Amino acid sequence: MSEETPEPSAESYLVLLNENEKSLAAYVHTLVPNLADADDIIQSCKIVMWKHFGSFSEGTNFLAWARKIALNQILNYRRSEKRRDRFSQNPAFVESIARELDSQTESPDRRSEALHQCLQKLPDAHRKLILLRYYEDRDIGEIAILTKRTDSAVYRLLSRVRASLSDCISNTLSPSAL
Amino acid sequence: MKPDERIEKAIHQQLSDEEWANFQEEVIKDETLRKAYVEAATLHGSLAASRDLLPSLLAEKQDLNPSKLKSLPWAIAAALVLSLIAVLAFRPEKNQEIVATLSEATNARWAGSELPTNKGAELSVGTLQLTEGMATLQFESGATVTMEAPATVEILSKMNCRLLEGSVVADVPESAHGFTIKTREMEVVDLGTRFGLTTSEFGHSHVYVFEGEVEVHRSKDEHPGEAQRLLTGNALHIGETTGPTGDEEIDRRSALDTEEGGWIPFPTFVGRGKDGYIRQDGSTDTKANEPLLMVKHTSLAPGNERRTVLTFDLADANLSEVIDAKLTLETESSGLGFSAMVPDSRFALYGVIDDGLDQWEETELLWQTRPEFSAPELSERSFKRLDEFEIKRGATPSTIEIDSRHLLDFLKSNKNELMSFVLVRETDELDKQGLVHAFASKEHPRSRPPTLWIRKNPTSAR
Repeated sequence: MSEETPEPSAESYLVLLNENEKSLAAYVHTLVPNLADADDIIQSCKIVMWKHFGSFSEGTNFLAWARKIALNQILNYRRSEKRRDRFSQNPAFVESIARELDSQTESPDRRSEALHQCLQKLPDAHRKLILLRYYEDRDIGEIAILTKRTDSAVYRLLSRVRASLSDCISNTLSPSAL
Repeated sequence: MKPDERIEKAIHQQLSDEEWANFQEEVIKDETLRKAYVEAATLHGSLAASRDLLPSLLAEKQDLNPSKLKSLPWAIAAALVLSLIAVLAFRPEKNQEIVATLSEATNARWAGSELPTNKGAELSVGTLQLTEGMATLQFESGATVTMEAPATVEILSKMNCRLLEGSVVADVPESAHGFTIKTREMEVVDLGTRFGLTTSEFGHSHVYVFEGEVEVHRSKDEHPGEAQRLLTGNALHIGETTGPTGDEEIDRRSALDTEEGGWIPFPTFVGRGKDGYIRQDGSTDTKANEPLLMVKHTSLAPGNERRTVLTFDLADANLSEVIDAKLTLETESSGLGFSAMVPDSRFALYGVIDDGLDQWEETELLWQTRPEFSAPELSERSFKRLDEFEIKRGATPSTIEIDSRHLLDFLKSNKNELMSFVLVRETDELDKQGLVHAFASKEHPRSRPPTLWIRKNPTSAR
């Protein structure tokens, strides 16, 4: 690779990456719902960011820089995808979502902190569902079988869990709601 | 279907292709739906990003303090070490996996290569240097890359290669969208198309989209996140022709000292000699001091018409003793246009009869300031067509030698010591992106400049 960043910057890169990794991952997962695709993109982002770290001016917003690179990786990924998954995203769609995300004001860190607190308030059935879907990466059909529900019941439940988590997060983030 | 359910299905990719396409269209247009979707997707994103932590966050024991783990310094240190390993582990490594096949080779000759160069050879990561002819690489991803000699391509993976020098045309089917070709100046990401890419050692890269769409990332860009899209018929040129860097000085003496078989060389840098080219683009920048002299004929894009003008100073030669003469030109890769779009090309060399026209200056040589040189038909009163030569499509850089009776007669009949010539291409191109032919000028760091050679009667030579 032609433009390798000198080694001394490796440390500052890793510190910045460590601080922002979760927020960047959340950004990519928001734009790319497929977990495996998003993971691939996050991996390639880290590589691209490392390769181009020389062009990042220290002291400026690392996350904003990283998100810009990530968005580009996402737009490219759609086409480089070899799996030929039927799931493909319209670039205009991705861009419209990205614009919406850019207008969000709460800090991703506080959001994620709030989410962690809210997860602990979930009833057991909901927790199990979240674990099955996100930790075990099971699809809706599998969850339906495992939880002895119909597919649409799983959707409705997931939708409810999401709504209650969303409410909880906004209550946690906005003091007026206390 | 209720909008709410569609959002959930979209996030878990349970919509049919058609539903998903419609849903996306609606989200783009409908702000309310978009906001609802973004809220759901954001939560999905946060959960997905935290999924490694979920078991501990959702553990049955309510007393687990989730922030405890985060605050431990060793955890950060460990994460740093792991990240460092991840980053350092990503080093380009040679692997022997087959990533492409050499599917076609037409009159191909290869420079010493680390990869096999027989037709049908299976290629792993490595470099191929084509010195003559054309060759096609079929990548495992489905992309094909046709190299036009001289060209050097480094195969990086099924989806990536690097063009170190020369020209390639890439044909990328849907299965290989995202196929990327890098040059020093840019990175071209294919979005489903046929495109040509050319680069030269003087630091310019040129991409042209025959069909479809590509995305270009400039490698020197301050913002790697930004890209430029090119559609069918679009072209992008990065880098201007620049002279030698100064690291390599032109050794002018060696050219002068080489007398071969009694031949005495008069390169364009001797005395009042000069060389340059004109281009019909209305530009007021002269091409003085460029390492390449360009020539092109086109009826498709008249602004790209180019002619080369040469003047040799034969003051030190006693023309009456000259028995033989020849003119040599070194062909070079211009880095502009594609061989595939130009057939074998015929060039004509005109001698300037009108001695008044010898007095041009490199710094004022322009298409519009020199109507004599740029006239569609060079006037028979001022010019004489001395000879013609042909450069075959895909020909490797070589020396063109013009050695005709007419050249000698022209020198003998010329009344002053300055011998001027105009070089034109007579063959038109098939596409606006046809190859621009180039010859080394006196500024070229390595190749011999245009040189007029004379040989004298051995008895009269000292």
